[in-house]
Amino acid sequence: MKRIETDIIVIGGGATGAGVARDVSMRGLRCVLIEKNDLASGTTGRNHGLLHSGARYAVKDLESARECISENRILKEIARHCVEDTGGLFVTLPEDDPTYHRNLIEGCRFAGISAREISVRRALQIEPNLNPAILSALHVPDGTIDPFRLTSANALDASERGAIIMTHTRVNAIIRKGTRVEGVSCIDKKNEQLNIYGSVIINASGVWGQEICSMAGIELTMFPSKGSMLIIDYRVNGVVVNRCRPPADGDIVVPGDTVSLIGTTSMEVPYDKIHDNNVTDEEIEVLLSDGEKLIPKVARTRALRAYSGVRPLIAVSGESTGRNISRGITLIDHSARDGIEGLITIAGGKLMTYRLMAEKATDLACKKVGVNKKCATHKMPLPGSEKGISRRRRIKKFSGIPDSVVGSTFYRHGQRLQRIMTREKRNYRLICECEMVTEGEIEYAIKNLNVKDLVDLRRRTRIGMGPCQGELCAYRGSGLLQEYGGASPEESVEMLHDFLEERWKGVRPVLWGDGLREAEFTYWIYQGLFGISRPVKTKRKRTD
Amino acid sequence: MIKLENISFDHCIKCTVCTIYCPVARATHLFPGPKQSGPDAERLRIKNPELVDASLKYCTNCKRCEIACPSDVKIAEIIQNAKWNYLKINRFRPRDWFMSRTDFVGSIATRLSLMTNFVLKLRAVRVFMYLLLRIPYRRAFPNYERSTFENMFRKKIAPSQRDYEKRVVYFHGCFVNYNDHSLGKDFVKVMNAMNYGVDIMKEKCCGVPLIANGYIEKARKNAVYNIKSLQRAEQGKRIVTTSSSCAYALKYEYSSFLKLNNSGIIERTDHSTRFISEEFSLGNVPKMKRLGIRAAYHSPCHLECMGGVMHTLNVLKMVPALDLVVLNSECCGIAGTYGFKNENYAISQSVGSRLFAMIDDAHPEFVITDCETCKMQIEMNTSYRVLHPVTVIAMALKEE
Amino acid sequence: MKYDALIIGGGLAGLTCGIRCAAAGLKTAILSGGMNSLHFSSGSIDLMGYDDEGELVKKPFDQVKKICRARRDHPYAKAGLATVKKAMEFFIETTSKTGLTMNHNGDMNHFHITGLGALKPTYLSQESVFSPRGHDILNSGEKIAVMNFSGFRDYYPEQTVAYLKKNRIFAGRDIVLAEISLPWYMDTQKNLHEFRSIDLARIFDTAKYLPRIAEEIRRAAGDAAAVSLPAFLGIKNYRTIRKRLEDMTGKFIYEIPTLPPSILGLRIDQALKESFIGYGGEFIANERAESGPVDSGLLEHVNTRNSGREPVSSKYYVLSTGSFFSGGLASNSQRITEPVFNFKVDADTKRSKWYSWFFFDAKSHPFLSYGVRTDKNFNPVNEKGNTVKNVFCAGAVLSGYDPVREGCGGGVAITSGFACAEKIIGELKK
Repeated sequence: MKRIETDIIVIGGGATGAGVARDVSMRGLRCVLIEKNDLASGTTGRNHGLLHSGARYAVKDLESARECISENRILKEIARHCVEDTGGLFVTLPEDDPTYHRNLIEGCRFAGISAREISVRRALQIEPNLNPAILSALHVPDGTIDPFRLTSANALDASERGAIIMTHTRVNAIIRKGTRVEGVSCIDKKNEQLNIYGSVIINASGVWGQEICSMAGIELTMFPSKGSMLIIDYRVNGVVVNRCRPPADGDIVVPGDTVSLIGTTSMEVPYDKIHDNNVTDEEIEVLLSDGEKLIPKVARTRALRAYSGVRPLIAVSGESTGRNISRGITLIDHSARDGIEGLITIAGGKLMTYRLMAEKATDLACKKVGVNKKCATHKMPLPGSEKGISRRRRIKKFSGIPDSVVGSTFYRHGQRLQRIMTREKRNYRLICECEMVTEGEIEYAIKNLNVKDLVDLRRRTRIGMGPCQGELCAYRGSGLLQEYGGASPEESVEMLHDFLEERWKGVRPVLWGDGLREAEFTYWIYQGLFGISRPVKTKRKRTD
Repeated sequence: MIKLENISFDHCIKCTVCTIYCPVARATHLFPGPKQSGPDAERLRIKNPELVDASLKYCTNCKRCEIACPSDVKIAEIIQNAKWNYLKINRFRPRDWFMSRTDFVGSIATRLSLMTNFVLKLRAVRVFMYLLLRIPYRRAFPNYERSTFENMFRKKIAPSQRDYEKRVVYFHGCFVNYNDHSLGKDFVKVMNAMNYGVDIMKEKCCGVPLIANGYIEKARKNAVYNIKSLQRAEQGKRIVTTSSSCAYALKYEYSSFLKLNNSGIIERTDHSTRFISEEFSLGNVPKMKRLGIRAAYHSPCHLECMGGVMHTLNVLKMVPALDLVVLNSECCGIAGTYGFKNENYAISQSVGSRLFAMIDDAHPEFVITDCETCKMQIEMNTSYRVLHPVTVIAMALKEE
Repeated sequence: MKYDALIIGGGLAGLTCGIRCAAAGLKTAILSGGMNSLHFSSGSIDLMGYDDEGELVKKPFDQVKKICRARRDHPYAKAGLATVKKAMEFFIETTSKTGLTMNHNGDMNHFHITGLGALKPTYLSQESVFSPRGHDILNSGEKIAVMNFSGFRDYYPEQTVAYLKKNRIFAGRDIVLAEISLPWYMDTQKNLHEFRSIDLARIFDTAKYLPRIAEEIRRAAGDAAAVSLPAFLGIKNYRTIRKRLEDMTGKFIYEIPTLPPSILGLRIDQALKESFIGYGGEFIANERAESGPVDSGLLEHVNTRNSGREPVSSKYYVLSTGSFFSGGLASNSQRITEPVFNFKVDADTKRSKWYSWFFFDAKSHPFLSYGVRTDKNFNPVNEKGNTVKNVFCAGAVLSGYDPVREGCGGGVAITSGFACAEKIIGELKK
């Protein structure tokens, strides 16, 4: 049995967990991060990517709003290549309460968020695809954030500072000695056992926090709230468009890289159903019709995929409906609450306050081990986000390679582009043509960014996230996983199979129109032409 | 944020068929193909207009990608839009300016036609044009007539047309106007033989070279002028052209690319062979003698895109004793003014090489095609003379 | 009436129908909007690959016979076993006349090897996939070489080998993996690493690099009797190039279809188009049928995108517009329709029933069997419920079969196209 000794153990490889690993490593402590699936495969990877200005919370939850705007500004500095400062609009539709926007302006003023009213004409200039029937518009400093890039950059920074990142490794027991937690017992992808011992365990496992705590004999009640989102084939808006009304379903359209996202719905789910990521037809109806009200073009655009995530909400004081439970940050010192020493849980919050959550958890952990270092994560840029030459100049340095290819890679990896792209023909050849992902980027991701299979690769590079959903690139990607990742041919084909099944989960709920054509084509190629499902015999269970 | 105009790229299911049939992608590594330049890249350009590739300029707008696309994506249009909206083009482009202003150049050149024709054949002049304007040295220029067709028609032909009860409006286009009256005369001859008189209206260049070189506003001005002028033709009168590119512009580009309302002319405007084919099927077939000639037919890209090739073939099939070889559809490579630019010359020639080889293999006595620039390209690269289908009919007409 | 037979859709079914009609002297036209699905096919013709339990079919005509009895809605049942046989013979003869030989193993299926090393049952294949000589070599236990062009991104031979070895026929066989580099003096500046199959095929359509390639193959394959490569043996000059390469190397050259475009499929497409035009048929590219009045139970004419005021009319019409991918069937979030004439479609009304839970479900997906409802004569039914007697339907637009699960896509296309042509010819003779 393998055994690792470290200082801090982080359970959970979402944004928070990766942020903690980074903070801990920056303060000079050793760290091991354990993630049962892949980085950002949980709620982090299933959210709408909105970099809140906080305006949304300004009316009901001032503290959240203030946190938001403060972190918003920090992230725009330290996570430059993960964030797009698009700006946002809050628009009032004819059927909405025409005075609500005044509450918003008030609340924003108290929270220190610059929300100014602009004319409808100006709003349409900023966002030409907006519904021209809007009554009023507010401009707010919303932005968008790519959760995969963010988590990956945090994990990369942590590992460059000595942290060990273990993905596809599952905690199956917490090692306790009396009232003290000593470490965790895990099992990896190859079914090998491994024990990790540390001074403090930080439970940053999001909605699985309840499970982890129960392994330590602690009761923690979470109120998972499922939210569904719809991805639109291309970017129909350049700025974030919010519906100016009390928070309800389907009131945002968020641009994200090459797509737009309509969100969200909110539905309480019982804890044993947190793995059910299926989106119902009714949710899709709601999202499409509400999205159309904000951006009419949505009606004529291909719905690319639909998916859901589970918000890890914790009740702090007895509220029970998903939207009204505070999305504030919850830091639990289990020695104070439950008499168990050595375990901290950090939960709640939002994607964009991950850094603050990590800071709080790390502060507490450092106190416990007697280390007196201050947090510096708000000052240090993430790898790729360093101040360097502009994107335009960087693209010019690679003249000879199409600008769209260089630009896309720069978007995804920022200043790290130099380590990825070379002028070697093999390096800059396109593997994913929809999102312009080169072989060089894939090689870099496989070798440096904890990529164990095609689904991981997709999160790090966007391969398979475009309109074809892996139709051509999945096959190529599986071949490259053999070459750079040491996968055996059988493993690579199984990964191909799994990847396509994973993509299908999101395509299935929106299977009509061009999506249906695409799926038919993909099916013909992989089943009709390649005969994939005969060679691969994997056991699978329907999870619903 | 760009207001999204052409969203047909949304239908692209990445089947790669367009890239198979793109003659430019086949000819050069500099052009990554229509799929990558069109629907793939458009999603990125929407995200950030900076992500536009200079390689877009190699697209000839031959539309073969659109012909091949099973998803009805207007690929060539997406690329043209991207070219002119996103690429930063030099303001100062004297060569492109001159080449696209066919009316301006044509009216001067016809006035000085003897000198122009002489000068354009001089080696020194061609070298000068190459050095200064980067027009390929080997490129042959068409001859200029001594007057415009418009003037000649009004003086010499218009009077005799008044005898005819049924009339068509002839949109003669720049090539007939400045370079080749004989085609216009042949057209009149054929129409007359079919009991149609010919009228002309005031016209400006249809705008195809202007659009191809990015002078969209000027193209629009010309288009508005042409629409207004042609609309004045009496109800029921058909508008017929001998240039397949002019026909394509009048019927399709004016509305889909220039976003103008051409509903007043679209239904009654057609390429000559379509009108003639319809008349033939109604029984209006003039008496023709046996030609006894072997000819190879090349289908111009724009005519193919309009679905007009079958009309030309129907018409040619009615010419007695015309041994017609229908060549496989290939782009000739000139793509209007594209092949007159030195930076494109090699690509242009490479694209056309397949066609030239096919023509040689067919051993015709001459080549038939509907497009004047195709004619220039084929005559320059093979030893064959190229005739318009209308000219072939004119040749076959039995003299009464 | 401009035509005797107007065929809407220029795919395998439409072309087969068109060739049969044109060869019989009918004035025939094919309207084609975009290239057909042959561009993505394996280049083999699947007649009947799997039975209802998903088991491999050894004798396809026997299975067709069973289907004719048990499944009335299947296109094979509507055509009848005799027509299926005639259609196959017609197809073999037609392609052979253009120089493309389609081989079969008597009345039995044979296998073709896929890029992922699966063995798929099929009935007709090209010389570089199935031939008597090749069949003997592949079944003889002799050493084979599975090769790739170095740097080609659309094929990964290790996967082929790994899964081939799991098959009884190849288990324990000596299989060597090798790479051959494309001739370094090749006349192209294109990034070799971004080559698609079409680029390879274009290079090998000229015989320029054959000696060099033959040399590389010989060296890399050693004493292997058969060599497989991703499909590359040219399109126009396939026949001569293949023969020459086999003579030069002394080995059986086997082609494996990889990511689209499919060179093997392109050969069939070009052969059929050549044949159709050779018989005097009119192939009208870039022409999409948009609508046509069928109220009276007869299609009066077809409005096409380019025809304007002059809709096209014909004595008989064939709808062979393909499945969803080709645009023959359309869908929105609520329903599935036939978009040109609004013929009745056999499809579930609930969207959640269109698909299976898993993508690679053994039962395949219901939507693959959706299509236009036709009677036993391949006539469709209009919105009002009347049978449209002057329209016939052929190919993937038909309902009643799953081309992937049953392994019968090509066979149904050819059979239904041929059957519709026979019916039209029969009607016109009266």
